Amino acid sequence: MTGKERIRTVLEHRNADRLAVDFGTTPVTGIHCKVVEALRRHYGLDDHPVYVHEPGQMLGYIEDDLAEALGTDTAGCFAPKNSIGVWNKDWKEYRMPWGQVVMLPAKMVDSFTEKDGGLYTYPEGDRSLPPSGHMPERCYFFDSIERQQGEIDDDNLNVEDNLQEYGDIDDETLAYWKTVTDRAASTGRAVVAGFGGMALGDVARIISPAIREPRGIRSVAEWYMSTVCRPDYIKELFDRISALAVRNLEKIHSVVGENVDVVYVCGADFGTQTSQFMSVETLNELYVPYYKRMNDWIHQHTQWKTFKHCCGAIYPLLDSLIDAGFDIINPVQIAAKDMDPQRLKDEFGDRVTFWGGGVDTQKTLPFGTPAQVREEVLRLCDIFGKDGGFVYNTVHNIQANVPVENVIALMDTLKEIRS
Amino acid sequence: MDNLYQAIFKGLAPLAKTAVQESLDNGKTPQDIIDESMIPAMEAIGQEFEAGRVFVPNLLLSARAMKSALDILKPLMIAGQTTTLGTVVIGTVKGDLHDIGKNLVASMLEGRGFKVINLGTDVSKERFIEAAKENNADIICLSALLTTTMDYMKEVVEAVRADGLDIKVMVGGAPLNAEFAASIGADGYSSNANEAVQVAKKLLS
Repeated sequence: MTGKERIRTVLEHRNADRLAVDFGTTPVTGIHCKVVEALRRHYGLDDHPVYVHEPGQMLGYIEDDLAEALGTDTAGCFAPKNSIGVWNKDWKEYRMPWGQVVMLPAKMVDSFTEKDGGLYTYPEGDRSLPPSGHMPERCYFFDSIERQQGEIDDDNLNVEDNLQEYGDIDDETLAYWKTVTDRAASTGRAVVAGFGGMALGDVARIISPAIREPRGIRSVAEWYMSTVCRPDYIKELFDRISALAVRNLEKIHSVVGENVDVVYVCGADFGTQTSQFMSVETLNELYVPYYKRMNDWIHQHTQWKTFKHCCGAIYPLLDSLIDAGFDIINPVQIAAKDMDPQRLKDEFGDRVTFWGGGVDTQKTLPFGTPAQVREEVLRLCDIFGKDGGFVYNTVHNIQANVPVENVIALMDTLKEIRS
Repeated sequence: MDNLYQAIFKGLAPLAKTAVQESLDNGKTPQDIIDESMIPAMEAIGQEFEAGRVFVPNLLLSARAMKSALDILKPLMIAGQTTTLGTVVIGTVKGDLHDIGKNLVASMLEGRGFKVINLGTDVSKERFIEAAKENNADIICLSALLTTTMDYMKEVVEAVRADGLDIKVMVGGAPLNAEFAASIGADGYSSNANEAVQVAKKLLS
């Protein structure tokens, strides 16, 4: 089977010739650039600086040679602009505070300012604006800086303000998607595309480090509170976003067609480590109708499968997310409350594909031994891998501090399972 | 229950401001208002959270309503004549800028009767110790969201012990658990903001 056939088979809840695997095709199934460099060295690949396509989380691009070494079945298509709104092109070397030289867009590198051992970034790389990202000393990521302008004036809250970053797709971007999906499809791997514009209430978008002058509700805490105290505003916002998304999806589909296998829809997290950010009723009222509008359009007009990222203890919410039309759930945070792998597989395994959940990244992968990693990977693949409906990935991205011997143990165990 | 209790429980900040003024106008002292309305309201919303009937956004709203009322009372409170359960210095550790959970813990502690000094994010071990000494604190609370920063908590605990401070250290944050807390020598751990209050009370009992 090709990677595409393998992914397609497991997404239809059938057994493929071997375990299906993804590394690096979305902003939530990726690998930190520090680990990507270590992997390239381990596999003896060309020694050049890693390209960082997503600077917020400092995710390294998995080039074709590394994808082959890892045996990944997927090829990712990322938005043309990175998380601070700079086009991912005109790459330039930069030495990060931990000593690694990486490639970042020159426009971003040239706008960095250094202070107190840390780095600051600016929307669209424009230093005339206040900074929107900060990597403090001893940190391996750029965290977004909240830029909420004063207190929310409920009497004058205008939904247009929270639609700043949404709009009709332009011809240049359509041409970009055509080029990158053609290229990804030519690899024979399943194509995973993050077209954007479909996120509902993803706080990483709400805080919006790419926007020059953010308006509306732009504080994370304020957004969460708004799900309780401003439900009508949220419904109006989601109605507008989902209608616009469908209009853009029509245009995108007319250009990329069936080159795409999986579309990344939304990364909004509804779970904490031990609870949820809302009740089932709130999810059903505020979110599900608008997810359904987008997912239904995709299912009625394309063969694409829909991917929902949602961290945390979301067991009580899974039925609603499946009813909303999601085919794939990620990252399957097995260490969160009530997220027992066997229970998830037994109760939801025939209705949704688990894309992730392959090893705990809060404890086992960063702090365990290689033997513990191997044991956990074997156990979880045994549970989730039965009768399809599973694409191997870790629980969220592989982070900067993961010992390389643990990542190698993970990759070797996957090879063992797949051989 | 009175209007202030209801306003805090339901997370209505404007109403909380009005209600606290009403209570003052009726001759109640700030300490009475805190003890009779505010702490019970925060305890009640905490219990609803524990029972899974409300969620983090509700706690955030109640905490904001509580703070808006407390802001009116604070200038009226005479030093030495108000009682607290203890003084807590709280912050997110160096290298980590995540603060929603930490701020919620700070608010829940404050709303239940602790004096809280919130140092913000990216806080060094030296700053924690300095603030603890300045404020004669009983507890230092450390928060981290990242697996790459949680190890710094160990450095803070070691620095606190090396300094000879007689103070409890509590830790929390998504990737932590009780086992990790024990392994770095912390005195307490909680998995959520409501539980943090119980742990803090127990540490000082």
